[in-house]
Amino acid sequence: MSAAIADTMRSEWTKFRSIPSNLPTLLATVAVMVGTGALTADRAAEGHRAAGAAFDPAYLSMYGGFLFAQISVGALGALAVTSEYATGMIRTSLTAVPRRGRLLAAKIGTFGLIALVTGEAASFGSFLLGQTVIGAAGAPAAALGDAGVLRAVVGMGLVWTLVGLTGVALGFLLRDTMAATTVVAVVDFVIPIIGPRLMPEAVGDWVSTYWPVAAGLRVATTVPDPERLAPWTGFGLMAACTAVLLAAAFAVFRSRDA
Amino acid sequence: MKMIRVDGLTKRFGGRTAVDGLTFTVGPGRVTGFLGPNGAGKSTTMRMILGLDRPDAGSVTVDGHDYTGLPRPMYEVGALLDARALHRGRTARDHLLCLAQTNGIPGRRVDEVLELVGLASVARKRAGGFSLGMGQRLGIAVALLGDPQVLLFDEPVNGLDPEGVKWIRELMRGLAAEGRTVLVSSHLMSEMAQTADHLVVIGRGRLIADIGIGEFLRQGSNVLVRADDPDRLVPLLIEAGGAVRQGTDGSFIVTGLETRRIGETALAAGVVLTELTPQRSLEQAYMDLTRDSVEFQASAA
Repeated sequence: MSAAIADTMRSEWTKFRSIPSNLPTLLATVAVMVGTGALTADRAAEGHRAAGAAFDPAYLSMYGGFLFAQISVGALGALAVTSEYATGMIRTSLTAVPRRGRLLAAKIGTFGLIALVTGEAASFGSFLLGQTVIGAAGAPAAALGDAGVLRAVVGMGLVWTLVGLTGVALGFLLRDTMAATTVVAVVDFVIPIIGPRLMPEAVGDWVSTYWPVAAGLRVATTVPDPERLAPWTGFGLMAACTAVLLAAAFAVFRSRDA
Repeated sequence: MKMIRVDGLTKRFGGRTAVDGLTFTVGPGRVTGFLGPNGAGKSTTMRMILGLDRPDAGSVTVDGHDYTGLPRPMYEVGALLDARALHRGRTARDHLLCLAQTNGIPGRRVDEVLELVGLASVARKRAGGFSLGMGQRLGIAVALLGDPQVLLFDEPVNGLDPEGVKWIRELMRGLAAEGRTVLVSSHLMSEMAQTADHLVVIGRGRLIADIGIGEFLRQGSNVLVRADDPDRLVPLLIEAGGAVRQGTDGSFIVTGLETRRIGETALAAGVVLTELTPQRSLEQAYMDLTRDSVEFQASAA
């Protein structure tokens, strides 16, 4: 069984790398996170006096870039599935791997690993470049050895991975590239980022605390906020929501005709 | 014995029954033609054999096993359902490689099948740029990856040029001659006449005939008749057990009677026959067989 999963994951990696646009898009996504992170870190450093003790250089160096990069990661995850439906490849794949749980597990495992490696690279890259920018702007920069900083940087890569897996789950559920990527953008960006500014305060506050990606991002912060969830609690909530989506994807994928 | 057994297979889509209690077996060492008009349920049946669609009733096994339970199915069954079911951006070799890897088939086998189907020179070209014939060859390469004993081809010659048709025909006959089980679907009788040893004919999801090609040919014999006084002869032929329908230019077509019997009937009635031609057209026999089950039929003006 484990050998079969390994074979299927190897196949999924071949599928991913052999679509010409995938690897360039992935590298561009890392570059967007690191580059945009540096820009927003520069801006954020200006406000460090006003922020006082709430100034969180580690989070600020990664957050701005992540907002853009997550759309791309989620879309790549969705595309790993929807491109198979769009081309009819899914039927060829299921003929080779008729056990649907195995195919789904291999897709989750492979794309999860791809997202984890690039997510950690992007997180460390944007943290390190961001701290240089923040220091140069005259604000207090963070170091990886500071309390909670390593957890925040590693955690940001984990959140990026979960966003990618949310895309995979949505791909299986919706089977259509346009629909899946739109939902990724709405779920990970429009509702948690723009939403709280437009919603009634109580709703906005609830979204900022409990909406999966908002809760998950707490793991990337180093300054405690009593109004929000603790770092790993928030991340746990997001991980649980992602797991529920993936379980729903499995249920649908197993029962539907291909 | 590598048999495909279809038993009481039924599939409904919404209110429409696409496959309706279908039962037949496909045996080794011969090409079995799976024949029926468009929409008869051939592709749906093939998808159910491969576990892509779930039957509403009945079962299908390959060599006694449920396809979805096979740990490495490509070694047992090779299938070409839709040659276009691939990512157009992937190279031919990568397409084959990612499928081979799922079943632990080594990379050198990928190069072997590329050679076998004549695509070795375009192995690193993107499949999206392939012609219909090249795409079909790539689909067949996928089916052959695991060197399986059972092969399914869904309309493999559709849209191919004569050379491509000939290649696929010879390939299928060769595979059957090696003792493999070959099931090939088509909506064209003329194609099956040149390839198949045995026919499974379906219409509207139901079995119409499960028959050797020779017997099918005998059953489907038509006789073209011209006579000086058809008005007198036709009722007598019907009385003798024949079915008669209008042909072109005053001729008529008789089924169910041997030429000799028709001649005797004409002689007894004193009607002069000006033509008496046996027509062993499989195409016609097939049309006769499936006329009532054609889903979308153009009405004669």
